[in-house]
Amino acid sequence: MKKLISMLAATMIALPAAAAGDQFHLYNWNNYIAPETIKRFEASCKCEVVQTYYSDNEELLAKLAAGAKGYDLLVPTSNAVQALIKGAQLKPLDKSQLPNLKNINPIYLNTPFDPGNKYSVPYAMSTTIIGYNDVKMKELGLPTDTWAVIFEPKLLEKIKGRVTVLDSSSELFAAAFKYLGYSANDVDPKHWDEAAALIKKAKPYWAAFNASSYIKELTVGNIWLVHGYSNDIFQANLDAQAAKRPFHILQGMPKEGAVLAVDNMVIHKSAPRPDLALKFINFMLDGKNSSELTNLIGSGNPNLDAVKYIKPEILKNPAIFPDKAVEDKLEQLNDLTSAQRRLRNRLWTEIKAGR
Amino acid sequence: MRRRPVGLWAAALLGYAFLYVPLFIVVVYSFNDSRLNAEWVGFTFDWYDKLFHNQDMLLAAGNSLLIGLTASAVSTVLGTMAGLAMYRYRPRLLSILVLAPIAIPEILMGVSLLIFFVLLNLTLGLVSVALAHIAFCIGFVAIVVRSRLAGMDESLTEAARDCGASPLNAFRYVTLPLIMPGVIAGALMAFTLSIDDFVITFFTAGAGTVTLPLQIYSMIKIAVTPEVNAVSTLLMLLTLALIIVVSKLSPSLLGTEEENA
Amino acid sequence: MIKTALSMQARSRLGRWLVSGPPVLYLLIFFAAPALIMVLASFRTPGDFGGLAPLLENGKLDLNLESYARFFTESVYAQIFVKSVWYALLTTLFCLLLAYPLAALIARSGKKHRDLLLLLVILPFWSNFLIRIYAWMIILGPNAALARTVNGVLGWFGHEPVPLLFSSFAVLVCLVYVHLPFMVLPLYANLEKHDRALLDAAQDLGAGAWQRFWRITFPLSLPGVYAGAALVFIPALGIFAIPDILGGPEDSLIGNVIKQQFLETRDWPFGSVLSIVLTIAALVLAGTAAWVGRRSLGTPSSAEPARA
Repeated sequence: MKKLISMLAATMIALPAAAAGDQFHLYNWNNYIAPETIKRFEASCKCEVVQTYYSDNEELLAKLAAGAKGYDLLVPTSNAVQALIKGAQLKPLDKSQLPNLKNINPIYLNTPFDPGNKYSVPYAMSTTIIGYNDVKMKELGLPTDTWAVIFEPKLLEKIKGRVTVLDSSSELFAAAFKYLGYSANDVDPKHWDEAAALIKKAKPYWAAFNASSYIKELTVGNIWLVHGYSNDIFQANLDAQAAKRPFHILQGMPKEGAVLAVDNMVIHKSAPRPDLALKFINFMLDGKNSSELTNLIGSGNPNLDAVKYIKPEILKNPAIFPDKAVEDKLEQLNDLTSAQRRLRNRLWTEIKAGR
Repeated sequence: MRRRPVGLWAAALLGYAFLYVPLFIVVVYSFNDSRLNAEWVGFTFDWYDKLFHNQDMLLAAGNSLLIGLTASAVSTVLGTMAGLAMYRYRPRLLSILVLAPIAIPEILMGVSLLIFFVLLNLTLGLVSVALAHIAFCIGFVAIVVRSRLAGMDESLTEAARDCGASPLNAFRYVTLPLIMPGVIAGALMAFTLSIDDFVITFFTAGAGTVTLPLQIYSMIKIAVTPEVNAVSTLLMLLTLALIIVVSKLSPSLLGTEEENA
Repeated sequence: MIKTALSMQARSRLGRWLVSGPPVLYLLIFFAAPALIMVLASFRTPGDFGGLAPLLENGKLDLNLESYARFFTESVYAQIFVKSVWYALLTTLFCLLLAYPLAALIARSGKKHRDLLLLLVILPFWSNFLIRIYAWMIILGPNAALARTVNGVLGWFGHEPVPLLFSSFAVLVCLVYVHLPFMVLPLYANLEKHDRALLDAAQDLGAGAWQRFWRITFPLSLPGVYAGAALVFIPALGIFAIPDILGGPEDSLIGNVIKQQFLETRDWPFGSVLSIVLTIAALVLAGTAAWVGRRSLGTPSSAEPARA
């Protein structure tokens, strides 16, 4: 035992306290920046990029709310940015350091959640849409361009137990609102009850509320229809093709509209190196650098200068780069107040408890 | 002559099968020629090759092993003391302190430890993670040791004391050998809990601190590739080898007891 | 004995502090103090951003019982709570049934194999949790052998096929799977010390195998059963990852609800209330079970022979 402990102590001491030099701490989603982009940034800033990952905006918010420090740059979605601004967690951006900001499509700038882009700059986007197995859906003659296929028992009957929806109350309520013809950000409690009733009616036909393993099951062919994120569905099809499946996983943009999620670069108030963070933001606003992420994971791109570097097959995908008519029906989610979140949670728990 | 307990063997075999069918899949799929952990496609060594070039994953595995060994060593010592104290003195406070960390939802423990470390101005890193792991492992060790002690004859320890043994010697030569299987069982549990913890680690780790579960959970949305099966397979082999080496070096660590016929 | 009674007493008090001091101190600092922050949080108001609203606003202390009132008035939370207790109980029972033969076999096997057999129980759990669960998704998938067999048999009886994946069955199987070693290890630690002579004597007196088990082995192993039951039941009560990944639409447990309070809903006060209720319930249930056990079966410890 003593030997073991002394051995451990020796290893602990021998561990160097991280090589000295400039470090830039990026708190990001996993696989949300191309490796070659990192290499080039490291060369240009003469620093080391240290990435830490989260897999959910909510995880990020909880961690920062509890007081975690040491991160230079975060990449949260707009509604989380809104929450972070409310919580005074962000450092205002010095725009004189961001000449490449001109590359961003103006329709993604100066949004209600951050007027004048005081704190945030768009990074990449995705939509929450329908993903489906083309062979199965065709065989059963089901539509793939409407939320009806997720919510209407009449249609669901044919694919009972082969459908999953996201395990996220905000996403699922938004889809239900859209189907009912309301705004994704509707806050009328009567409409909330209506959406909850719609969800409860459809629930018996769903296999699961699932945010973590639905893509895999879709690719294998166990699940035929999902309510999910466009990036994930894009990836599912790449995987399905790599595995030579006899079907494709396609993206269906509901005609009623859908949720648009824009992820933004923001600097945390405790950032040890805000200078490197600004350099990074400007670097990522460059068209070529920005396009590499889109080419890697099929994310939407708000950078006009990036378009010329993006693979044509991604560019012509309407779920990733929607045309004007669809774009008008996309909505970004607002952050709810704490009272609204409580009400939402009660409805959600009732839905899940099966009442 | 005793009859061979056929029924017992059959039942135990069923138990092992339950444990090993999934593990078999884990290991086999580390050689699967597909990104997805879902269906057998073909044989490949690619994932091991990828793994050996994946600095992040290797560093994370090293950190997890280091934290696991440290946390299980410290919590085994503290947990054994707690188990002894619970058995001998039956203190209320300690019993609650030992059970509550097991009962409390890990997300609450994670958030509260993070708030606490921030209040203390402790820089988050491997140390804060290890401190947190020790806190939730102590209880598991203490409960096993306590149950091992149940019904043990204290007269042996007393006899040793009467013969002039110091309390420390009485513990070392009488009590410890008697409770060793409990201590080992506790240490194994502590290591298992530590090396696989995600929630509490997520909250207590600092910027740039990686452990294997943190690395792996962040992949959950994009696909947990067979690289993870590969690293798990290697980690299991490595830990097994480590235990065998340590037990060869000091046989007293694993099973102090002489077989008594 | 030459030592005076007084010095013996002083010594034993010193011993008591030396043995219980370090773990008590450690747990007070790294468990109780942080946990108290969250106990206090349960009386506060959630902040809009997340976390908590300021404790002192306009000179008024923000402490209230709102979150507690909510738990007791909105029955849906209590319902899920009861369901979780039920799942945890079933998990404990199945773990016990599977673990007992394993632990008994390891305990009675020779010294040479014992360590290896014990290691084999825990070895699978050094692989990552997620890929173990993924392995179960493969086993339970609709096109795998298990689901085909089950549904083939059901088909014979004219029953329509049932899904195994994304179901309560999947959740329960995996709950049992991940908690099994926590039942085997304490049971083994207990069974290992049993004196064979006692069983041999019983056999000589004509007791059958079953009788020997029920009358001798099982009662003697009760402390191990309690320990294992506690180490399975209590953690199983708060689990959320398994229902998240493998559960069907009905399989949300209290652990999931608590997780939501800290993540999606950003309602720490209510999350703390649910956690406190869960913790107290677990401690009370564990305490009662141990007490009832001691009552109805006599203190097994007093009947137990020591092993030298």
